[in-house]
Amino acid sequence: MSPQILVDGLISGAMIGLGAIGVTLTYSILRFANFAHGEFISWGAYFAFAVSGLLGYLSGGLAAPIGPFSFGWSLPIAAVASVALTAGLALLVDAVLFRPLRSRRGAVIILVMASFGAALALRNLLEFIFTSRPDYYTTNLQIAMRLGGGMRATPDQLLCLGVAAVLALAVHLLLTRTAIGRSMRAVSENPQLSGIVGIDIRSVVRMVWILGAGLAAVAGIMTGLIVQIRPEMGLDLLLPLFAAAILGGIGSVPGAMIAGLIVGLAEALTVQVFGAEWRAAVAFVILVAILLLRPQGLFGRPE
Amino acid sequence: MTAPQAPPIVLTTQALVAGYERDLPIIRGIDLSVMRGEFLTVLGPNGAGKSTLVKAIAGLVPVHGGAIRLDGQDITASPAHTRVRQGLAFVPQTENIFTTLSIQENLQLAAAILPKDKRQARIAALYDMFPDLSARPRRRAGQLSGGQRQMLAVARALVVKPSILILDEPSAGLSPKVVGDVFARLRAINRSGVTTVLVEQNVKAALGVAGRALVLVEGRVAHEGPAATLGDDPVVAELYLGARHSREAMAT
Amino acid sequence: MILHLFSYGAFFTTVALTYAIICLGLNVQWGQTGLFNVGVAGFVGLGAYVSALLTTPHSAEHIGGFGLPILAGWLGAALAAGLATLCVGWLTLRLRADYLAIATFGFAVVVQLCLLNLQPITGGALGIAFIPRPFAASAHDPARFGALNLAVMAAVVLALYLALERLGRSPWGRVLRAIREDETAALALGKNATRFRLQAFAIGGAIMGLGGAAQGHFIGFIAPDNYLPMLTFQVWVMLIVGGSGNNRGAILGAIVVWGIWALSASAIAAVVPADQQARTASLQIVLIGVALCAILLLRPRGILGEVRIVSRHLLPGSRLRQRLPHADRR
Repeated sequence: MSPQILVDGLISGAMIGLGAIGVTLTYSILRFANFAHGEFISWGAYFAFAVSGLLGYLSGGLAAPIGPFSFGWSLPIAAVASVALTAGLALLVDAVLFRPLRSRRGAVIILVMASFGAALALRNLLEFIFTSRPDYYTTNLQIAMRLGGGMRATPDQLLCLGVAAVLALAVHLLLTRTAIGRSMRAVSENPQLSGIVGIDIRSVVRMVWILGAGLAAVAGIMTGLIVQIRPEMGLDLLLPLFAAAILGGIGSVPGAMIAGLIVGLAEALTVQVFGAEWRAAVAFVILVAILLLRPQGLFGRPE
Repeated sequence: MTAPQAPPIVLTTQALVAGYERDLPIIRGIDLSVMRGEFLTVLGPNGAGKSTLVKAIAGLVPVHGGAIRLDGQDITASPAHTRVRQGLAFVPQTENIFTTLSIQENLQLAAAILPKDKRQARIAALYDMFPDLSARPRRRAGQLSGGQRQMLAVARALVVKPSILILDEPSAGLSPKVVGDVFARLRAINRSGVTTVLVEQNVKAALGVAGRALVLVEGRVAHEGPAATLGDDPVVAELYLGARHSREAMAT
Repeated sequence: MILHLFSYGAFFTTVALTYAIICLGLNVQWGQTGLFNVGVAGFVGLGAYVSALLTTPHSAEHIGGFGLPILAGWLGAALAAGLATLCVGWLTLRLRADYLAIATFGFAVVVQLCLLNLQPITGGALGIAFIPRPFAASAHDPARFGALNLAVMAAVVLALYLALERLGRSPWGRVLRAIREDETAALALGKNATRFRLQAFAIGGAIMGLGGAAQGHFIGFIAPDNYLPMLTFQVWVMLIVGGSGNNRGAILGAIVVWGIWALSASAIAAVVPADQQARTASLQIVLIGVALCAILLLRPRGILGEVRIVSRHLLPGSRLRQRLPHADRR
């Protein structure tokens, strides 16, 4: 077993964690398991791909690598645009699909089913536009730096880890320290009482989509930068996202992030021991274990 | 403001029809007026629609006919969260505080609709009014006792200085001693000028604090009159308030 | 020419009927019991592979190949898929409703992974060929072969239909409906409610496994690619279009949706240039995805919906679910 597992696991775990924060927020506040969340990851990656490609085309200087990184300024700029576009996409899907279904006050499972349909449509739309051929933000190669202890990482990978940590902390502070965060926690506990107290639930719902989709876009861009961009990238991450959200305890942002790292590390370990083809089974095994042993998750309250 | 004084009627319902299902209304035509500053209690046997009436007024149960007016404004179609801004404060029977949030956060949530510069002072004023709560404001509300929870729920409702305070069975699940404390507090709040509507099963305690009483039966108003004389009326007592009241009356 | 048309029609209808079997299984789970299975493809695939392994002749390429009769393969498929559903259901049915959806989704992912990677047993990405086909002896006469297979598949669907209708009217079926439509009844039954749900879930899973086996034997060849999430999605659209809670709807939905699917696919193949066909196929899926959402929004009862039974699920005003947030708690 090489210490490199630690680096690989933490990096893929950070992306799972960012995605899982969105899943856990949607689950605890909108109260359904959103199978379309993975598609926000893919759309985020492709939005950034399209925008950065356009910027690179308009000005070659923007594509020139910044410092030790493999990408130019076009990617960070495109990332900001992608976060906004992906949030807009989530709000659009909510407006045409989820909100009408919510206002009907039907069974929750109808929302889950609708999200399943939306996921298929969104994923195949990407495949229609960009085909299933993998794309890359940059073709520049990077040399991994020695981190000591036999571990190596590229500057891109380290940057992604840092950004993920900052974002997770920011969301945690937003939830615990600000008025909108307080409202979000209130709606998560009791939507009816939230209305009575004067909270406009629609604005909380908007915030959930913006946060969830924005973080998903970032996770998608990171995955695209470190691995590759494919229409199925979100689908492949969906099970790890759910496993991390449940493992962390539904509604817990730090829980989702930590559980994301755990899932990532477990995947890296599995790849090392059993081979890369079994990676996708790890999330399911974790899911089964957590449902058997502690369904409320590591940081959740029992129902 | 052109009117020198606020109008004497705070809340009215006209021919109100409400219920979860349109073809099965629980409230079947209720006319009601609440005067400014009064303490009204709504009584009636189980299933009479007391709770549904106040939930419809608070915007939690669909209204299928009639109108609700608050301070002259028609609020029949407003969502629950805007009714708070218009001065209606409702304390539900159960789950009336956020147990995963701290005491301070519960009050801050309610204060969010006040202007920014007024929030701190208003919360401080409520801590003065409810000293039990001020001891450890960072405590999670879920750790409070039953009586303290009710007090927090009432304090939360009062944060916005409502024109009317509506409570749905605050005595539920409390020991008789604590019920006495809570009701004494409600009376004091009413005396300080807050119009109060109280839905109760505990008839004796309710009649002890209210000025006027309303008896609902099967979704309609069956009797209305001063609280002091309602208990004396043997017909009302036997028909509408049930044996429980008679037993309690005998016990005293 | 007419003979050719007939054998094509028989082929098409037989495939549609295999989907009808799967769809009937899903209807037991969703339509009758309200359990959301996102892993249909996994259970169907499991059934198809189990049956293939039991019935194929011994082969050097993969382990298995017991050369058993087809009927034994079908039974084994139903049993294996039923057991798998039982396990997944046992794990999640006592928890939140969406956990079942997530777990079945994960199950399908893992089945897909095993089909691809357990090469010695499953043949890997290439799958298993030479699965015995019913009436293989008459394969030289396509019309006769097609007619016989169609007859068998129709008989299986009819038998399932009659059995499920009977089951639905039995005390067992009435309890299931009561559990689904009336939360108080479900609460009163307590742990028993979970047991009833679990039974229904396992029966539905077994039927899906049978459907997978029937399909595999009719085509004669299976590969992991046949059991992607797309299959789950197709079966769902079939059930929703037909009207969930209605066995006739499930069969009709399977035939209609399969028909639309096959026709549009062959239209694409005929019209669109070869290099653009993968692209157009994804557009086809987009349209079907949008259609599923549109049906959920606009016509939640499907073509042949059973108003009374389905209404509790999909229509507004159910008092039991007036508080959306708690509807998912059991």
